[in-house]
Amino acid sequence: MSTQRVLRLSINGQPVEVPSPPERILLDLLREDLNLTGTKRGCDLGTCGCCTVLLDGRPTLSCLTLAVLAEGKAITTIEGVASATELHRVQKSFVEHGATQCGFCTPGFVLSAVALLRDHPHASRAEVVDAISGNLCRCTGYSKIIEAILAARPAGTA
Amino acid sequence: MSFQLVHPSTPAEAVRLLSGSATGDIAVLSGGTDLLLDLDNARLAPKRVLSLRKLPWRYLRWSADSLVIGSTTPLRAVENDGEVRRRLPGLWEAIRDVGSPALRSRATLGGNLGRGSPASDLIPILLALDARVRVVGPGGVRELPVDLLLQGSRRTTLGPAELIESVTLPASAPSTYLWQRVQPVNDISQVGVATAFVPQGPHWRIALGGVQPRARRMSEAEGVLPSARPSHFEVELAAQEAARRAEFVSDKRATESYRRRLVAVLVRRAIQTTLERMSKATPSRKAKR
Repeated sequence: MSTQRVLRLSINGQPVEVPSPPERILLDLLREDLNLTGTKRGCDLGTCGCCTVLLDGRPTLSCLTLAVLAEGKAITTIEGVASATELHRVQKSFVEHGATQCGFCTPGFVLSAVALLRDHPHASRAEVVDAISGNLCRCTGYSKIIEAILAARPAGTA
Repeated sequence: MSFQLVHPSTPAEAVRLLSGSATGDIAVLSGGTDLLLDLDNARLAPKRVLSLRKLPWRYLRWSADSLVIGSTTPLRAVENDGEVRRRLPGLWEAIRDVGSPALRSRATLGGNLGRGSPASDLIPILLALDARVRVVGPGGVRELPVDLLLQGSRRTTLGPAELIESVTLPASAPSTYLWQRVQPVNDISQVGVATAFVPQGPHWRIALGGVQPRARRMSEAEGVLPSARPSHFEVELAAQEAARRAEFVSDKRATESYRRRLVAVLVRRAIQTTLERMSKATPSRKAKR
């Protein structure tokens, strides 16, 4: 019934062509077809946020997204956040604040935070909490994650 | 799961595709946050999935007395419209209670309504706000109150080739949505209570979700609130009446008796909150006069 088609995607700034049936879920395509395993499969129900990627800069749950519907959009995964030589300032801040323990949820948190601080560089604590409200962490208790994101704001932010 | 994906670009084409398919052979995809789970678990196994994303139904249109929300508008877009929070606080609260920001970027109002979950956090507030639903189908366009769209648990009165085009709400109404869950996030509500004060007709609207088989208005409880400023006694009476009349089941989230107690408390709080919002909401009404 379903037929493969070559999807033309933009992933981390690179054009990617990958044959795919229409039912292919973006998370599976990233992890299994493209080996981009930084995007994690957690609940597979759209509640834990581990599979978060950015679609045109907006946090999106890749476990609930058909890959075909990501055509024409810029997909950013955790692999595309750091530059070749340097971690993103959100990632640095996570390291500095001990905001990671097992690390499984970290890619989702980092991408949610990157999107927030791009749109709202001076985001308040409440806005940070809201932005990560769809990301679950079973290790840290969240405080260090929130501190890390707040510290990644430009210097001088109250 | 295995299916063919079709993306009609006009409502007429969508209706034609639906009309040409046997029920069960085609599923309608709006945001997909609910449908994709059913496809993944093979609870549904359609041959075709019809995506609504190319239809021109992503909009919020304000007029003097109404807000029309296109059915494929992501919930996040409704939530981020500052006027929604100010004018329809109950709708804003209900939307904020759906999933997470990322989920709401995808989930749509039409999808939530069309799936007809008894635990929907949006349907009670749509009922309380007297929402009207515009439906397009083979017979043309029809408009009906949301109450008549809902039928049973996950069942609506939509025909097999009908689609929800938009939802019309009042432009402003003091309103409140409250819920109780086992866990505050990542769970569905044990009960959801929506209240609204509408300028026309019998003023008070009370609707419950988490009840069986579908969310519904509690007209008996509404009837206990005769005036815009009910007494404490009348509010308490309405809360008790709602708790007494609602049809609950016991399930893993709550027993029937616990749900009944929740409803009494939440209805009282929701009416009180709406009353507080009425005293704050006067600037827009003054401006109209």
